[in-house]
Amino acid sequence: MSRWLDIIENFLASLFSNIKLVEKGLLGLEGSYVELLTILALGLLAVIPVMVPESNRQRWRHVNQIFGIAIFIFVVFTCLGVFGMIRNFYRGLHEIGRENIIALYYCSVPVTILVTSLLFGPAFCGWICPTGALQEFSGFITRKWTVPWKKAGYPFSWVVLTMALFAAAVFLLWMYRLSMTRLFFIEDSSIYWSEVLIILLFILVFRMKQWDARLRRLRYLSFLIIVFGAIMSLRITSPVHFGFAKVYDPASFLSTVMVVLAAFTIPMVWCRYLCPWRCVIAWAAKHSVRSIHFDSSKCITCGKCGEVCDLDAVKNGIIDTNECHMCYKCVDTCPAKCFSIKDNWKK
Amino acid sequence: MRFFLITILLSISSVCGAHQWPALRGDASATSSIRYTGDEVLPEWHYSYKGNRRYETGMIVWASPALAVVAGKPMAFIGGYDQTMHALDLVAKEARWRKLTNGEIKSAPVVGTLDGLDVVVWGSSDRTVYAVAAYNGRQLWTRELIEASNTLGEAHLSSPFIHGDVLYITAFVYDKSLPRNKQKGVLYCLSLRTGTVIWTEQVSSGFLSSPVGFENGGRLYIAVCARRGLLSCYDVSESAPKLAWTFQMPHEVLGSPAVASDTSEPLLFLGSKFGNIIAINALTGKEVWQRMAGNWIDNTACVGKIDGQPVVFVGSHDYHVYAYDARSGELIWTRALGGEVFSVPSFFEVNGQPFIVVACLDNHLYCMDGRTGTILNAYYTGQPVWDKIAKGESVWGSASVFASGQNSVAVYGAFNAKVYSLPLFGSCSLQAMARSVKSLWVTLLMVFLIFTFLVLPLVLLPLRKSV
Repeated sequence: MSRWLDIIENFLASLFSNIKLVEKGLLGLEGSYVELLTILALGLLAVIPVMVPESNRQRWRHVNQIFGIAIFIFVVFTCLGVFGMIRNFYRGLHEIGRENIIALYYCSVPVTILVTSLLFGPAFCGWICPTGALQEFSGFITRKWTVPWKKAGYPFSWVVLTMALFAAAVFLLWMYRLSMTRLFFIEDSSIYWSEVLIILLFILVFRMKQWDARLRRLRYLSFLIIVFGAIMSLRITSPVHFGFAKVYDPASFLSTVMVVLAAFTIPMVWCRYLCPWRCVIAWAAKHSVRSIHFDSSKCITCGKCGEVCDLDAVKNGIIDTNECHMCYKCVDTCPAKCFSIKDNWKK
Repeated sequence: MRFFLITILLSISSVCGAHQWPALRGDASATSSIRYTGDEVLPEWHYSYKGNRRYETGMIVWASPALAVVAGKPMAFIGGYDQTMHALDLVAKEARWRKLTNGEIKSAPVVGTLDGLDVVVWGSSDRTVYAVAAYNGRQLWTRELIEASNTLGEAHLSSPFIHGDVLYITAFVYDKSLPRNKQKGVLYCLSLRTGTVIWTEQVSSGFLSSPVGFENGGRLYIAVCARRGLLSCYDVSESAPKLAWTFQMPHEVLGSPAVASDTSEPLLFLGSKFGNIIAINALTGKEVWQRMAGNWIDNTACVGKIDGQPVVFVGSHDYHVYAYDARSGELIWTRALGGEVFSVPSFFEVNGQPFIVVACLDNHLYCMDGRTGTILNAYYTGQPVWDKIAKGESVWGSASVFASGQNSVAVYGAFNAKVYSLPLFGSCSLQAMARSVKSLWVTLLMVFLIFTFLVLPLVLLPLRKSV
């Protein structure tokens, strides 16, 4: 058994270490490792939702997500991890006046995301975020089980329970392996987020309908822990971090696997319950220039908008800005064209 | 009269021994070892000093030690967060002297020779360079590099580099007053005799590594790297420094360059926080080869010689120590240890056999065969004084070695606040391979209990309004 785990881990380590395609940052700011390509790519990817034709918008969105993964995991060196960005922002603020170049490096990504979210709505979540994209693509695989489950109002399901059990088994087996071969530090704390994710899966199997909205409060707790950690100089790496950092980071890799497995069971589960960035993005979404408007007079109450939303952010045409990822699925699916996108520059 | 007698005694002993530690890790190649041929046995010693300093998260605790044989006595000089420079007599197991400064000592001291007198020089965060006699700690001079002001931020002074009767040191200082926007990483050239500043050169607007010097064609070059990855090399042979070349590293650099200067073309090695170890032609600044580790290399590399061939040893946060052929970059061996290898390996030879000593974040110090990477000994050096750490932002101290055959010792300021002098081949009380997996499962259980019985009930309180 141990030998097989050894082989699997070595295989994964060789597969996922050194996954960057370039050895140096492209478009580097002279005299530093600051990559202007990161800001440029983020800005461009955030503008795409505004530019693409309505007819093929969802296809464009997936292309954008794939392009985001390709750029941020395989090309640029900047961390786009949901934990790291908060911590980096805090560190960047501290570096202002001390070393401005490093301040620029650490602040640029979160500031770009916030500014584009204020301009174009929370399109980062729906169109760019690699963690979100991974979950969405994973969700495609188990759609034929999860969509009927959702339509039925999230009753107890043996299929979903089996998937949760499988995820838990993978987590425990992997943790057993890692505990024998690694020492863990504070920065590997994403394994605790994974543990909570597994516990949540079991809770949701039985109580999704009743507790879904309340459990989303956990994002605030997640945000507070990361901010507190940043203030206390604790580095906690997030899922998918290993992809940004050009390293095989076992804890971060395990967390990523758990996010993917959990997303098989419940679509966008990380974004729903644990993503700390959602708190900040939701604030930006509320004050965003771009928003989706619903014309209730046209509504034929077909319920399609709610069905297609992976986050259950739309109910009877009413969009919850705290949850919306600005993916425009509801807009594109509505047969009565009740939804319209408006840019209010007076905001 | 007493001073003259001591000076004469020291001059004689220095001429006889001529031991020096002129750079951060002993020399430009950062081997961090020194030979001791005396008869006295170097015993195991655990030195601790109760200062009144409050410890901070992930702080440096001890910088790397400098070693020297002073008046025939093997001594270690080590500074730390207690703002004090300690001079430790490794045979008598006593602190010969201590010198309190007004700031943390975050970088290693160096030991030079001035008119036969061994001199210890170091920089402190109080913006001052100190030079004292190695034997008794008598102050020779101090030099405040940066003038104080009400809005001045913390100063970071590097380890000095001594060449002849001149020393080079870098300092970074910033002004907390934003309108002034003063951010300067400056290379200083000082007289070792008087501490007078000969010239200064602003290298960057950020943190700087320790300067490392090498000679070629009768000219002296100083290489220094800014934290933001800009490696600069200066020709300092004349009255003013002249920029020879610059090289942009792919990412943040926390360590200092190491140089293999006795090859046909001198090579300079530097690691970055993206795990690259890069060999650069030290004369032209062109990349010669580049290799990747699996994680950060946030400390200096070390260049040793095995069978006459230069070999680069480097530790990475991917738990591995790597040995590369310095000329071709070919991987000779790699060895996994129990935790992140944050420290610089020390290289030394005993009876022609190469060894390295390296400290690791699994709280162990390892002695390894330099030829194969086989672990020969592991020493448990205690839990850190801080209960949490921010990896990758501090450059913690590394071990240095007194190579004395079977009597060899590693001197290491561990992050449990003790300075260890550990016999590498004799018996040692710390020899262990301690490791516990229980704590991980205990914390997982605790998270489960806290989440299930505290967080969940609070989260599941009724909502005021439907979301």
